[in-house]
Amino acid sequence: MEQIRELQAYGYFFFTVFLTVVLYAYIVHLYRAEKKGTRNYEKYGKLALDDELHRAPVEPNEDEDEMKENKEKK
Amino acid sequence: MQNAALEYDYSVAKWFTYLAIIFGIVGMVVGTYIAFELAFPELNNLFGQYGTFSRLRPIHTNVVAFGFTLSGTFATFYYVAQRVLKVSIAESKTVHGIAKLHFWLYLVLAAWMVVSELMGYTTSKEYAEMEWPLDVLTVVVWVLWGIAMFGLIGMRREKTLYISMWYYIATFLGVAMLYLFNNMEVPTYFVTGMGDWMHSVSMYAGTNDALVQWWYGHNAVAFVFTVPIIAIIYYYLPKESGQPVFSYKLSLLSFWGLMFVYLWAGSHHLIYSTVPDWMQTMGSIFSIVLILPSWGSAINMLLTMKGEWNQLKESPLIKFMVLASTFYMLSTLEGPIQSIKSVNALAHFTDWIPGHVHDGTLGWVAFMIIAATLHMAPRFYKREIYSKKLMEMQFWIQTTGIVLYFSSMWIAGITQGMMWRAVDQYGNLAYSFIDTVTVLHPYYTIRATGGLLFVIGLFMWAYNFVKTMQSDRVLEKEPAFASPMGA
Amino acid sequence: MFHWLEKRPFLFSVGVFLVIAFAGLIEIVPDFAQASRPVTGKKPYTVLQIAGRQVYIKDSCNACHSQLIRPFKSETDRYGPYSVSGEYAYDRPFLWGSKRTGPDLHRVGEYRTTDWHENHMWEPTSVVPGSIMPSYKHMFHQNADLETAFAEALTVKKVFNVPYDKPGMPKVGNSKSDFEAAKKEALEEAKKITADMKNQDVKDAVNRGEIPEIVALIAYMNSLH
Repeated sequence: MEQIRELQAYGYFFFTVFLTVVLYAYIVHLYRAEKKGTRNYEKYGKLALDDELHRAPVEPNEDEDEMKENKEKK
Repeated sequence: MQNAALEYDYSVAKWFTYLAIIFGIVGMVVGTYIAFELAFPELNNLFGQYGTFSRLRPIHTNVVAFGFTLSGTFATFYYVAQRVLKVSIAESKTVHGIAKLHFWLYLVLAAWMVVSELMGYTTSKEYAEMEWPLDVLTVVVWVLWGIAMFGLIGMRREKTLYISMWYYIATFLGVAMLYLFNNMEVPTYFVTGMGDWMHSVSMYAGTNDALVQWWYGHNAVAFVFTVPIIAIIYYYLPKESGQPVFSYKLSLLSFWGLMFVYLWAGSHHLIYSTVPDWMQTMGSIFSIVLILPSWGSAINMLLTMKGEWNQLKESPLIKFMVLASTFYMLSTLEGPIQSIKSVNALAHFTDWIPGHVHDGTLGWVAFMIIAATLHMAPRFYKREIYSKKLMEMQFWIQTTGIVLYFSSMWIAGITQGMMWRAVDQYGNLAYSFIDTVTVLHPYYTIRATGGLLFVIGLFMWAYNFVKTMQSDRVLEKEPAFASPMGA
Repeated sequence: MFHWLEKRPFLFSVGVFLVIAFAGLIEIVPDFAQASRPVTGKKPYTVLQIAGRQVYIKDSCNACHSQLIRPFKSETDRYGPYSVSGEYAYDRPFLWGSKRTGPDLHRVGEYRTTDWHENHMWEPTSVVPGSIMPSYKHMFHQNADLETAFAEALTVKKVFNVPYDKPGMPKVGNSKSDFEAAKKEALEEAKKITADMKNQDVKDAVNRGEIPEIVALIAYMNSLH
């Protein structure tokens, strides 16, 4: 019983530290990706505004086959 | 597949909107009635055993949480999901059929819930009062919603899921997990072959049962009163104001933060109880941490209005939504304060707790659902909203109601908490229990009046909505942003 | 990294589930075995007491009354010794409540009597002037559901090994056929309670072999120590 509790405590501690690191790394990653221009996250905010059925999607959802085809073409 | 006639299909969204209006009125009329019972106890005995505070209280909480709020959630889901995924539910007969079945079974469940609780069938666990056959039906209803949700996602044209969709998915998963574990119960009829077939006993006993219940109870608040409402505000506020969300990155961070932190905070309901001490402390600490992701979303919403604050003056819908996110900030600050051990020692078991709950449910949940339905009305019926003036009046009447409600409950709760622990010069208790009850009469009266004002506002909402359906000011096309409204 | 998830709904859902399930795993699962041990001398409820407990739940007494005395002097002075975990080992469900519109009841059996409860449930203000509690007159003519109470006792005995029928413990039996014996015993117990009551209708009902809800409820109240 005692041993389980100790394991539980260590498990909890390290997992929390791990998640904290992940969270901060993630924040850094988000902002760096945007600064470098590899990504523009804010365009996804448009998803709520441009929501007419016949508007072109912000980022179309192609199925897997189509994606492969596109790659092959390139 | 794609043809010119294809349009978003709002049928299921409309039905759930009607239910939200009906359950909102029923749930809050009952709530106001029992609030008056506390001030004027003679009211308890008007309807025999069916009118007492104790019998009606589960009906109030369940109808408001699982009738009104969930109807609002489903209504907005069937509206928002189609739009942000850019797919019409009518494109798939199967998904559309499941959504309809979802609605009808949900209606059966809700009606059964009200009747069975009125008859006294309850498990006694707060917000999980429904007995086992209803729990089984709940699971079915929930699974149907899940199928409809992932069906729509599977058909989507838009690759990336919008913020609101994350929160709807989280609502689906969170409630499923919590509900299943907390409602583990053994029907006594099947074990023994006798007695009432509706009756069951909990799988857990005593302290364990309490622990599971409040892990559920607190997080039911999270996944019914917070998460889906955030889904709603992330769509409706940007859409109504025509402003894209202030920061998509911030919304990502607060989403994952909220998901991780919320579930830990449940044990703050059990501070100074017999659950292990470290759990109480953990509940307390995580409740404080919870301010960050909660405020992250709320601030994101307020900043979305940056440079457009004039809309606050012009549009009652924006008023509702901005005040809602302000109330969200208030109650997510108040909750953590109440979780601090020394504050909890005073506040627990007092009226400050229902006061806190109602900041969130009236100011945040109800306001968002009201605003969302009124935003949808012109799109549903291709008509202008009947009256802007009525909405303005509703807004101010309800806001006054909420202020009366929470201010009186603050005073009542702190007064009662202080009196319970007050001692005279010899160290004896200064007040008998009944002294701490009679002193609350004026506050109970004010609270009930606040509730009454809110209910009056609900009737104005219903009236405005129905009048919109019949309005002759027809719109030629769906409005893009701000909802058109008549004077 | 995470953006990758938002395009993959399935993995996104898995991610959300893992994150929300984590707290439950750590917080709730490990302490189960420890917390459920009964304190020495704790007995499971008799069939009549269970029937009363079901009445307590049916009328949601727990909406206004707690059964949890916190470890503060002001509470132990008012309600008696603070509650400990092992006292609740047979409570399915637990009835701690979350609001004290009325006082705590965890040890109400220590300081209230049968006739006090009888007066109080009939008309609360007759014993507590200023009380805002509803009167529960229907409990005096509505009968408790003894069969369901028996079914509950038998279920917890069979499924959760609650020690009924052990030496010094309440009896319940092993199957449906033991109900008549259990009912007889419950009636004996009920008669001891009605001996202290004055309502003639209730006394008559018990003599006829019925158990009004109020009798079962008082049996449960008196068992709370």
